[in-house]
Amino acid sequence: MSQPPAIVGLGMTPMSVTAGPDSYALATEAVAAALADAGLSRDDVDGMLVGSSQGVREDRLGVALARRAGFGDLRLVEHLEIKGATAVAMVTRAVLAIQAGMARTVICVFADAPIAARSSVPGSAGTLYARSGGNSGVRGLERASGMLGSVPTFALLASRYLHVSGGTEADLCAVALAARAWAAGSQQAVNRKPLDEDGYYASRMISSPLRVLDCARPVNGAVAVIVSSARPAGAAGPGAIEITGTGGVHPMRRRRAGGESWFGGGGQAIDDALDMAGITRAGLDVVELYDPFSIVTLCLLEEYGFCEPGQAGKFVRGGGIAPGGELPVNTGGGQLSGFYLQGMTPLAEAIIQLRGAGGDRQVAGVRSALVTGIGGRIDHHEALVLAREAA
Amino acid sequence: MTAPRETGPQETGPLETVPQEPGPDAGDWLVAPELAPDAADPVMAPVYEAAARGVLALPFCAACSVPLELEQYVCDACGASAEIGTPGREWRDVPLAGTVHAATLVHRREPGLIVAMRPYPVIDVELDSGHRVVLTTATPSGQAPDIGAPVEIAFRTVGAVTLPAVRFQGRIADGKLLTGD
Repeated sequence: MSQPPAIVGLGMTPMSVTAGPDSYALATEAVAAALADAGLSRDDVDGMLVGSSQGVREDRLGVALARRAGFGDLRLVEHLEIKGATAVAMVTRAVLAIQAGMARTVICVFADAPIAARSSVPGSAGTLYARSGGNSGVRGLERASGMLGSVPTFALLASRYLHVSGGTEADLCAVALAARAWAAGSQQAVNRKPLDEDGYYASRMISSPLRVLDCARPVNGAVAVIVSSARPAGAAGPGAIEITGTGGVHPMRRRRAGGESWFGGGGQAIDDALDMAGITRAGLDVVELYDPFSIVTLCLLEEYGFCEPGQAGKFVRGGGIAPGGELPVNTGGGQLSGFYLQGMTPLAEAIIQLRGAGGDRQVAGVRSALVTGIGGRIDHHEALVLAREAA
Repeated sequence: MTAPRETGPQETGPLETVPQEPGPDAGDWLVAPELAPDAADPVMAPVYEAAARGVLALPFCAACSVPLELEQYVCDACGASAEIGTPGREWRDVPLAGTVHAATLVHRREPGLIVAMRPYPVIDVELDSGHRVVLTTATPSGQAPDIGAPVEIAFRTVGAVTLPAVRFQGRIADGKLLTGD
């Protein structure tokens, strides 16, 4: 029987910090795990959406995954690209495709393998990022000016945010510590070792004010999420997750003297998703943000209307987003301490929380969750409100 | 102090200019020649051609004079086309002056690409012309300036390409010494 599109399957590979299988092999493994989780076979799937990391990678995931992962004929196959907002947007696209009759069961897959076999030294993912970007366009001038990889870009943003908000690096520290405290309870998290302020401040500075512990943890891994109008047998176990609200906004801020180019405009995506879901921010039990850097959590808490402008640092320092806080944020450790698989990191964690499968980091009584993905320099926002389907 | 926001154990370097090792080819102080931009890139070529003459040239909307981003091809103020190589994109020489919008001291030095031996600054500058550009300093420096500090634009050469760069102004502002280099 056809029902509203819902999330009925989640598959995750182990998150590896060492070289191993390429992104296609990882994606195939996540697909198999998601099918098993949902109680579906490949023949039950008639749509596939694929997302992958930007930049030049030999094994960058594309629509060839459909064949590689062993599927038969499909009615919908598409590679989506909205930078970091892609994974979250894939779920929205799956819902729309199902509602339009294009497909009945769509599997959304993201995989990344930035840690390459040819380099076993720590930081090899950093080297990959540093060597990406080319020498043309504005990036050519920026790279020749020493802006390699994405950390200096977000360090500039962070320096500006702290200037505008009156914040300090203690605010960044508080975000990193909250993420680590959540990660301690997550089986999927890569960095689970207890972290205190001394440990944070002793960590390596990458690009001031961002230390290594302010940066996402690159991993090789994959996540697959199945959206379907059917309620397969497997879903009876974990239970289907309703997609009650969606929103997206892409503010076209200009880089020009006399104004801000990194902040503002993203809140509309959250407003729209909440309106569609018929709830307010107060009705959210967990918030899963895209947090490639600690600074982004601070920016988004304000941008998305959870804190007044300039107040996110104080809120986080007061334990507001940490375990036991009034607004549980990034409850699996996020991308900082959990794992960096772009928008799949917050999406997977929301599903786990809504299923009540969070183990030691499970938030009690989770019935609704906000998931967001951002792309570029906080230029693209995609949001979902997810809810536990009534039995 | 004008140092970057580092008060933890990672504090590095004095305020004054940090002596830097010259690159292996005694070229640019910061990066290896392989990071030289593509001087023939049509988006950026007018910038590099002007820089070679010691001039900073940047694009404006010919119709309404709004300063354009270097990769902006339609004016957001008036909607006019500003495509590369058309009269709608007007390159003008601009004053060599601006203020700091944001700044970072980069500690991670990618082997083979960064030749400097110490952390180096990357500075997002609000130019008096209204544009914003991200640059490093013209000469070796181990500090990131304060946001709002006035700076001048100078030039450096990477490989065969001349690029705009930042020169700190040695002056007192708000009772603090903004050290020059």
